[in-house]
Parts: sequence; structure tokens; C-alpha cells
Amino acid sequence: MKWTTKRLTLCAMLAALALALSWVERAFPPPVPLPGCKLGLANIVTLFALYALGAPSALAILLVRVLLGAMFAGNASALLYSLLGALAALAVMALLARSRRLSVYGVSVGGAAAHNTGQVCAAMLTLGNAAPLAYLPVLLAVSLFTGALTGFVAALLFRSAYLQRAIR
Amino acid sequence: MKHEPKLKPTGWDALVAAAVLLLALALGARFSLSGAQSGARCAVVSVEGVEVERLPFADAEREYQNNGYTVHVRVTPDGVRVDRADCPTQDCVRTGTVSRPGQSIVCLPARIVVTVAGAADEGVDAVAG
Repeated sequence: MKWTTKRLTLCAMLAALALALSWVERAFPPPVPLPGCKLGLANIVTLFALYALGAPSALAILLVRVLLGAMFAGNASALLYSLLGALAALAVMALLARSRRLSVYGVSVGGAAAHNTGQVCAAMLTLGNAAPLAYLPVLLAVSLFTGALTGFVAALLFRSAYLQRAIR
Repeated sequence: MKHEPKLKPTGWDALVAAAVLLLALALGARFSLSGAQSGARCAVVSVEGVEVERLPFADAEREYQNNGYTVHVRVTPDGVRVDRADCPTQDCVRTGTVSRPGQSIVCLPARIVVTVAGAADEGVDAVAG
């Protein structure tokens, strides 16, 4: 894979978009009032980048988004949560996307579930306590809906002929 | 496009969703079963993963400080709750009262966990002091 100017520009734009989406997301109330429970709109960008540009580019976008996001929020302790969550989501989605049988919906739901699992793992690590595991069942159930939602938005994006041309 | 994604849900997607749901139910069942026992309960307070205090379910108030935050814990005969905290997220306060063994209140910024323990794991050693 070559880091052409086009690829670099697309990645930078998608990273900016992901940052903007995580910011917009804070304006919405969480679907369930639980720590770590959110819509996961930035996952739309990861999912899109994964199919459109491949896993290495998606990873680069994800790292820029997570690092800059923590910097802008001025919250270094939240970095581990978003990093573990986002990496777990990308890893699972990259694996699931290899199966040509699954649509973006299945990949997205798997990614959302992995994101929550990664965050709960980060919480258990920082707390040194298994208590956050009790949140996981609810978070997993919620991820079915948030994952389907992000999958739906991603499917809309992939249908756009304009975007198809832009990334070719 | 690296490769064309399928845009319509397939039966295999349902399989992924079912796997997630099954995992959620299995984990959920594990926690609700472990919380079924009744009897004397207490609130176990851990700071940075280290247990600092066990509070029996009777009226009491405690304040814990860690990582630059203060968490105010109130215990009643019915359960335990965090009624004040100066953390930015306030997730611990919003959790409300917990009373069943296995339930917990987590304050991530302060790295403080309050877990309800049942009679079974109430060690005699812990009461001393």
C-alpha cells in the first residue's frame, strides 16, 4: 500500500470527520444512562474507511482520532478507554469484514459490541476490579441497536455514487 | 473500494446479533444469579483496586478521596449510594442506590468502586479494626 497524496488527504478528512462526529455525539443524550454508553457515531468512519481504504488506513485514522480527541477533551485518563474500545472494534470489524457473507450491519454490530467490551476491559484495568463487568450485559444489548444504526448510516454512505467516485 | 460491502442485512448478520445477545444474556444471568442470596450484606469500598473498607448496611456516611476527586458515600439499611461526587461525569451519583450482592457503583475518574457483598463472602477478618 502506498501513501499517495490522495490517500493521505482522504485519511486526514475522515479523521477530522470522526472527531467532529464524536463531538456532535455529546449533544445527544446517551441511549441508556450508563458510563461508556453512547451512539458510537465515530464508528461509522472506521467502518467506511475499513471498506473504502483498507485496515491500515482505518487504523491510522482511528489513532489520530483517539489521540486528538483525548487532547481536545483535555482528559488523558479517558485515552485508555477510547483507545482500547476503538482498537477492539477495528480488530473485530476487520475480521468480520473478511467474511463476504456478512453485510455492513453484521460487521457494525460486531464492532459496536467489541468497542464496549474493550472499554469495560480498560475500566477493569484502571480500577483493578472486576466490578465494571456487571455493566457489560446492558452495554452489549445496547450495542445491538447502536451497531445497527451505525451500520445503516454506513450503508447509506456506500450507496452514494458521489462518494464511490471520490474514493476510487 | 477495497472490496464491495454487502449493503442489505443477511441471515449471517442475524447470527452475529444472536451471538452478541447470547453473550449479554449469559453474562447477565451470571450476575443476577450470584446476586440471589439474601442475608447480611455490606458495601465493600475499593480504591485503586485495593479494598479499604467494609460498611455494614446501617446508617453511615463516608468520604473517600483519590486521584484528586472526593466521593461521598451514604449507607442505609436498604443499600448504598454515592450521594455526592465532584467528578465531571457523575455516573456514580446517577447509578443511584444499589442493594443486591454483586451490584456495584463505579467512579472511573476517582478509581473508586463500591460493591455490595453478600453474607457468604463476609469474612471475619475484614471486620477487625
